[in-house]
Amino acid sequence: MRVAALAALLLLAAAAARAQSPSGLEIFTSPAKGYCIACHQVPEGAGPATRSDLGPRLEGKRMRELGKARLRALLADPMAANPDTVMPPFGRHRILSPAEIDRVVDYLDALP
Amino acid sequence: MRCPDGLRLAAAALACAAMGALAAPDGMRSALEARLRSQLPDVAPRDFALGSAAFDPELRARVEAGADDAKPVIARGAALWKRRFKDGKSLAGCFPNGGRRVAAAYPQYHPRLKLVFTLEMAVNQCLKAHHEALLDYTDAATMGAITAYVRSLAEGSRIAVRVPAAAETHFEQGRRLYFSRLGQRNFACASCHVQGAGKRYADVPLPPAIGQATSWPYIRGGEAVTLQAQVRRCLERMGAAPFAAGSEELNDLEYFLTYLSNGLPVKANAWRPK
Repeated sequence: MRVAALAALLLLAAAAARAQSPSGLEIFTSPAKGYCIACHQVPEGAGPATRSDLGPRLEGKRMRELGKARLRALLADPMAANPDTVMPPFGRHRILSPAEIDRVVDYLDALP
Repeated sequence: MRCPDGLRLAAAALACAAMGALAAPDGMRSALEARLRSQLPDVAPRDFALGSAAFDPELRARVEAGADDAKPVIARGAALWKRRFKDGKSLAGCFPNGGRRVAAAYPQYHPRLKLVFTLEMAVNQCLKAHHEALLDYTDAATMGAITAYVRSLAEGSRIAVRVPAAAETHFEQGRRLYFSRLGQRNFACASCHVQGAGKRYADVPLPPAIGQATSWPYIRGGEAVTLQAQVRRCLERMGAAPFAAGSEELNDLEYFLTYLSNGLPVKANAWRPK
């Protein structure tokens, strides 16, 4: 009985891990996903150090001022707020799923 | 002139306003140059020909150090250029002065065919005229090497692409493509090379639109990468299905882009990192 319960727990944990994969950071840095790191720098320790500056440097304080709802909307369709932006419409063009956008939002919200 | 719907790039607006009723290529180029000069005050316009290296001294040094990588490619191209056809002629015989300095005037408008004629098309036209097998535009080992050699014969020559009145629709199609957002990532060429010129994408400085057509082919991993091959690569990165090499779309885009570099020296076969 105990073994079965343990196995069920392990399966649940594996499923949860799969649901969270790739992580917000992985989506942020992967060329096949968001590849946000190609344009944006993040604070030291929060991701790879780059000199990329096509987009603004992302700081946790500013991200939290914007708030998760605004960040989610910006990632989904940045042209709604700024028609001249070069940032891809990650939601509108289905580059990322809503769940993946949420993970990137969580990552941005937790930046130092 | 009609500017594309939904085109919101500031650069495009500026270019469209400057063009008026097909005062087109000259006005367009001047407006773009003024914009890039004001955006990039620390880079002399002649250095636009250096591309990304104009913004990064370390990269510039690496490009200079890698110059020898082009030698085997150019040698391969020279052998193909001088190879005797079955009728005893050669590619060199199809071009004035054996091909010296001709590359700086391509692409050209072909008035009889009413289309843009690239250097690669001229190579294939020569092969066809002499009953030789045509080359694949995407084959780096043959067409790429030939362009590497023939453009090396124009090294330092000022780019001088003419756009006669009859060719302005092709120039305009190239311009529209350059400024139109394409693909899943919703980038236009101009997003990076006008709006973002000089900034870094994936850590590499983005070369400005003016100057982009000076240094092709470049040498990456020991192979010649033509301008159209690079554009196709960019289109893939943009999440767009690339136009075929040698298609009217890419020829017109190359025509537009090369005209923008008029007056700058050909700098063929520069080394590029992988």
